[in-house]
Amino acid sequence: MTGFFDIIENIIKALVFPGLLFATIGGLILAGFDRKVIARMQRRVGPPILQPTYDFFKLAGKETIVPHAANKPVYLAAPFVGYVSLIVMMTLIPIGGYSAFSGKADLIVILYLLTIPAVALIVGGSASGSPYAGIGVSREMVTMMAYELPLIIVFLAVARLVGGSSLEFSLQYINAWQVANGPVISHLAMIPAALAMLLVIPAEVGTQPFDVAEAETEICEGPLVEYSGLPLGMFKLNTAVKMFVMTSLFSALFLGGIYNGIHTGVTLWGIHFLDIIIRAIIHFAISLVVTLICMTTVHAVTARLKIEHLFKFYWTVVTGLALISLILVWIGL
Amino acid sequence: MNYTHFPVLSVMGLFLGGFLVEIFGSKNKTVRNIIVMLFTTVSACLMLYLTIPVFGRGEVISYWMGNWEPVGGHAIGIGYEIDGLNMFFVILVVLTYWLSAVYSIKYMEKDRHLGHYYTLFLMLAGSVLGLVCTGDIFNLYVMVEIMTFAAVALTAFRNKKGSNLEAAFKYLVIGSVGSGFTLTGITLLYMQFHTLNMAQLASLVSGNMTPVSVLALSFMFIGFGVKSFIVPFHTPAADAYMSAPTSISMVFSGMVNKAGVYGMIRLLYMVFRVIDKSAIQIVVVVFGAVTMFIGVTMALAQHDFKRLLAFHSISQIGYVITAIGLCSLMGMTSGLFHAMNHTLFKGLLFLCAGAVLYATGTTDLDKLGGLSKKMPKTTICFLIGAFSISGLPPFNGFASKWMIYQAVYEKAVVTGNFFYTFVTVTAVVVSVMTLASFIKVTQAVFFGQAPKNLANTKEVPFSMRLPMWIMSALCLFGGVFYRLIGRYLLIPAGQAAFNITNYIDAMLGESTAVSASVTNVSMDLADGFSYWNPIVWLVIFITVLIAVCLVLIMGSGSRGKVLESGKDAAEDGKYSTFFSGEKSEYSHVAGSDLFWGFKHNWRKYFGIMQSVHSGNINDYSLMTVICSALIVIVFTVIFI
Repeated sequence: MTGFFDIIENIIKALVFPGLLFATIGGLILAGFDRKVIARMQRRVGPPILQPTYDFFKLAGKETIVPHAANKPVYLAAPFVGYVSLIVMMTLIPIGGYSAFSGKADLIVILYLLTIPAVALIVGGSASGSPYAGIGVSREMVTMMAYELPLIIVFLAVARLVGGSSLEFSLQYINAWQVANGPVISHLAMIPAALAMLLVIPAEVGTQPFDVAEAETEICEGPLVEYSGLPLGMFKLNTAVKMFVMTSLFSALFLGGIYNGIHTGVTLWGIHFLDIIIRAIIHFAISLVVTLICMTTVHAVTARLKIEHLFKFYWTVVTGLALISLILVWIGL
Repeated sequence: MNYTHFPVLSVMGLFLGGFLVEIFGSKNKTVRNIIVMLFTTVSACLMLYLTIPVFGRGEVISYWMGNWEPVGGHAIGIGYEIDGLNMFFVILVVLTYWLSAVYSIKYMEKDRHLGHYYTLFLMLAGSVLGLVCTGDIFNLYVMVEIMTFAAVALTAFRNKKGSNLEAAFKYLVIGSVGSGFTLTGITLLYMQFHTLNMAQLASLVSGNMTPVSVLALSFMFIGFGVKSFIVPFHTPAADAYMSAPTSISMVFSGMVNKAGVYGMIRLLYMVFRVIDKSAIQIVVVVFGAVTMFIGVTMALAQHDFKRLLAFHSISQIGYVITAIGLCSLMGMTSGLFHAMNHTLFKGLLFLCAGAVLYATGTTDLDKLGGLSKKMPKTTICFLIGAFSISGLPPFNGFASKWMIYQAVYEKAVVTGNFFYTFVTVTAVVVSVMTLASFIKVTQAVFFGQAPKNLANTKEVPFSMRLPMWIMSALCLFGGVFYRLIGRYLLIPAGQAAFNITNYIDAMLGESTAVSASVTNVSMDLADGFSYWNPIVWLVIFITVLIAVCLVLIMGSGSRGKVLESGKDAAEDGKYSTFFSGEKSEYSHVAGSDLFWGFKHNWRKYFGIMQSVHSGNINDYSLMTVICSALIVIVFTVIFI
């Protein structure tokens, strides 16, 4: 019978928490807050918090048009592959110190799993056959090349700090280390890396000023130009979930050990239900704050960059920040 | 069954087949195909049978030609020897030439003088197989020579185009420089130690690096460097891969440059056993890192499908060289794994390029487009290959690259050398650039809009698709079940590379390997395989996918329909691509300038690279010779 309960437990992990349901709802609410706060910053009233959710259901009810030039299977499958891989990402990241499957993948695997949604967007856009999408695809790819370099350096810095002399890359291990030694961000040498990571998040998600790939005003949302109906809704949902995944990754990497004191002792079928719920709420609050800092505020006060400036910015300023941390950690500060 | 004869029978069989096909098969197509398939299949089966004793029972197979066994521990005759490492490369070689032979039947049917083609093809296959089986260093040189000249002739096989002859000429010149260096190195060794047997050389040379040995080492390093096309000896590779028929390009990237890698491993790990010096490790890793970086950046600038793949071959060999330069079991296994994966996905990509060439008659990225509607199966194979080479999970390229990153980073932590961290970062960035350049191909060739002249393109025949499907399946299998491959294939092969005593003992008898000490490396590989479980990932992926599909099916009542254009709907504006109300017209974003934002920032670098790759054989030879001189100086400084 234990085998049966294990399967049920794993299915719940994948589909309810921290998988499908949690990630989707969290992402949609984050996106709603993002829009609301930007509106308030720009002295508008702004849409209700649930507006992204309404938008998704509205789009799901519209008809989907497959353009004549498109490759139908790839065009239709791409948004779903991106969405599902984001959900799987979420199950691999410790949420509030609670890790569902995070012993099964390490930081470099996470780095590569993160590329799958971006590749899904690129391939889907490319498969639509539109020249606008072609330009968008090119820009999305250059953006990816731009942020991947600082991101790997940030990851190596964290791994070096945490691993010491042994080879330990797993997020679960990083979490355990933070529980013992305090959050990574409390080490002064890691502050530049945290800043670099905060700058990587908006490019990864694709919000202003780093939304060159989907620039509505010049290339009509680039890869999404031909999409309509449910697939378009899925891509919008992907952006929202990606916000949640990236901010969760940030808090798992840099703010891991802050849940130490939370122990209510309330259990149900041997699981600390209340703890998990409280931790998930705190985790979501942190994600919200990170979103407000690195995406909403930046979005409200900046205008879109050109692609070559974006590339230069990431390979000089952001990489420089990450490199400072790596070198400081390497020489043992 | 006495299986010790199998290696020599396979090699001889391939050479024999090469002559028979010219004598009996030059006129009749059926006879020719039967001879080719018979000899390649039989030799492949004979060699694959040897996996049972070598990997299953851990035996080392040794065979003395003409029964010239060593007298008093002194080898006289030519010996063949197969341990785990040889066997690993043998598997790559037989897989490559067998699949290439299957593909050739249809792909080459429009060409003339096919008797010559198959003669050269079988010579090439036999020589590479002999190269990875032989235990005699002069025999190895002979095989290198046969390989080079068969490869040169095959490069020029479609000799109606002048550029193909030019490519063959470049390959001939640079290849001969490499062979010359190898021969000189072997001569210097023979002069000192009076033997040509690799096992005996290994027991004599170790710890005995005279200045002449150093010179021999650096010459042979250059020689195998040229054969595996590492930077700065990569210059003929791009032209050769592009000009050769695609079935041969696949053989080049699948086994010819792997032969160079094999030679490099034997040279550094066994014959001279110098890899445990940290300076040598750094030199090899620098070569690997520079090779992967220059290869991929050059690939980003290419306009031709096959030329782009050629530069990626160079780049991926850079990964392999980096990994084997680390001198750790993790490094060796990951390097071998990447070599194997490179054979699979690069072979697959070359076959896709060949299918495009077969169907459309061009590989120019600016003239193609929209083929995914005409050739859907090729498109899927291409996407699998592209995702594998760019290292997307759960394909095999990811598993091996991830192991390489871990091995390099482990080296950085163990030695405390910041240089290796830098190499890790380079490797990751190169991987992203690889993805970028394959996105370019995807957009330029398979997606987008088809030009008018490609309207009647058809999917390629089944016998060409079969090798593509086999390789795609292996790419996915290798990525998901990499632990199995690691346990049964890679770790035995990697351990064999370090276990020199075993090799020498099997060749020369039990007691001769007294002076040979195994390189001091931990043989435990528990850490490397623990943090990525693609099966768990796939299971979660499929669970979530099923859930999403169920939700969609249940909610389909309120969901909008999927509308698709019919046959004559090209005129219907609703289904044409978005043009802000203008009438739809042919407009395709071609490959050449897709990554303008990237290239603009790197324009100085690309300017330098363009002037270095001048296409002039005089410049290339000069570069080869100057770099060779530098290598000799560096090796001399290290040892003195």
